Amino acid sequence: MRSAWPRPSAQPAATLLPTVLSLLVVGVVWEAWIALAGTPVYLVPAPSAVAARMSVEPGYFLGQGLITLAEALGGFLLGTGVALAAATAMAHSLALERALLPLAVLVKVTPIVAVAPLFVIWFGFGVLPKVLIAALITFFPALVNGVTGLRAVNPGALDFLRSVAATRREVFFTLRVPSALPYLFAAFRVSIPLSVIGAVVGEWFSADRGLGAVIIVAHANLDTPTLFGAIFTLAVMGIGLSLAVSALERRILFWHESTLIV
Amino acid sequence: MFPAPTAASPAVGGGAPPGVVARAGDVPAGLEALREVTVDIRPGEFLSVLGPSGCGKTTLLRIVGGLAEPTSGTVRIGGRTAAEAQRHKLIGCVFQEPALLPWRSVLDNVRLPLAVNRAVLRPDATPPEELLDLVRLTEFAGYYPGQLSRGMQQRVALARALALDPALLLMDEPFASLDEITREQMRFELLRIWDAARKTVLFVTHSIVDAVLLSDRVAVLSARPGRLRALVPVELQRPRFAGIEHAPEFTAAYRRVHDLVMAEAA
Repeated sequence: MRSAWPRPSAQPAATLLPTVLSLLVVGVVWEAWIALAGTPVYLVPAPSAVAARMSVEPGYFLGQGLITLAEALGGFLLGTGVALAAATAMAHSLALERALLPLAVLVKVTPIVAVAPLFVIWFGFGVLPKVLIAALITFFPALVNGVTGLRAVNPGALDFLRSVAATRREVFFTLRVPSALPYLFAAFRVSIPLSVIGAVVGEWFSADRGLGAVIIVAHANLDTPTLFGAIFTLAVMGIGLSLAVSALERRILFWHESTLIV
Repeated sequence: MFPAPTAASPAVGGGAPPGVVARAGDVPAGLEALREVTVDIRPGEFLSVLGPSGCGKTTLLRIVGGLAEPTSGTVRIGGRTAAEAQRHKLIGCVFQEPALLPWRSVLDNVRLPLAVNRAVLRPDATPPEELLDLVRLTEFAGYYPGQLSRGMQQRVALARALALDPALLLMDEPFASLDEITREQMRFELLRIWDAARKTVLFVTHSIVDAVLLSDRVAVLSARPGRLRALVPVELQRPRFAGIEHAPEFTAAYRRVHDLVMAEAA
């Protein structure tokens, strides 16, 4: 409790050991099961077959993955940006909240797979519909948590700022935005993996590039090692993005209770 | 802590007509919080407002601070209305909760009033570093509020309230959320700081010891709607130090105020 915050230190190797061991066990059991049961590769490939497929063309999975990643991140930024602008307006006006929230809920409850084909018709076969679908799926968490967060200010701190004649703008930037950050990070933890799902769904419907397209083509050819390779790449991407959000959160929200537990 | 429907006519540094109440629109519509409270606080005076729970003490303070609008009545702070005084940064507030910004260091919290509304700057104000010195927290300047004890946080809040060198310091039960030991230390800490800074203080409390120990005068309010029942001068020598609460003069003043408050609470 002296000069600096007790920052959670980087995970020591000992805490990673159980995770590594459990993954290893799953891999070994899977490999043994395929070998013993003689399951044909077009049903389920052994981990070794997937690894072999990926090692033949690592650049292929990486390149397709980067396309999907770019679409997902573009969609995340777009969806979150629009959501934060809307949240700012809604947090300041109850009438605007009542007008906009039903629309946002409508967007949220509409299954993304139902909208995806429509986006292809409207926006063609390029990157745009994928980005838009990823944006659509990340919009709602950021909006709802943004509105809640911008309003969740300490009433005493608000009174104090008013007592020294702070303007609305100053209250917004010095109090509301920092108060909203814990809520926003909670939203990002949900919406970052969602953005990858949005991009992949977009690619299923209309792409010749990206991991979604790889999955569709591999599926049509019963090429399960490639299919699993794409799934594995997506999983790694999701884990990486989630870890990045967590790392950013620990850095920015060092003052918040949520980062002290871990 | 929330604005309650109100009415009052507190006057700070200038006389004002008595005010009468009732305001619709706010939470419980038409609830009368205060009635006929007229107080003239002298410059440099420490005045406590004491009364039973729910008598409108906090409402009175919020009206004086320009954080709530009275239904009727007026507030004058050195000839200005509460809103004008607020715009000119003449008011410093300390609330029951420290209400610091947890993402700012202790020093940056004390600097907060200097960072907002920069159109009105007070170049003569005491530098934040010196204020931290005054509340004896210099070595904690780089700490964050979450790392400090409750009492230390409240001292930061006091330094923050003094950052603009306000003419009037408003304190709303600032010791209420502290434990008894910290509370006792904080009383003498506040006396020491008040002796050094010599602000006009309006101090709301439901602690008779707080009121008698700290104040020049104690305003006793009745139960809701709060009316001014008595203005009791406390004739204890200053500066007041630890141990004074065992002096016979203190006991006498305490009993006078105690009997008045209890008569109102009954």
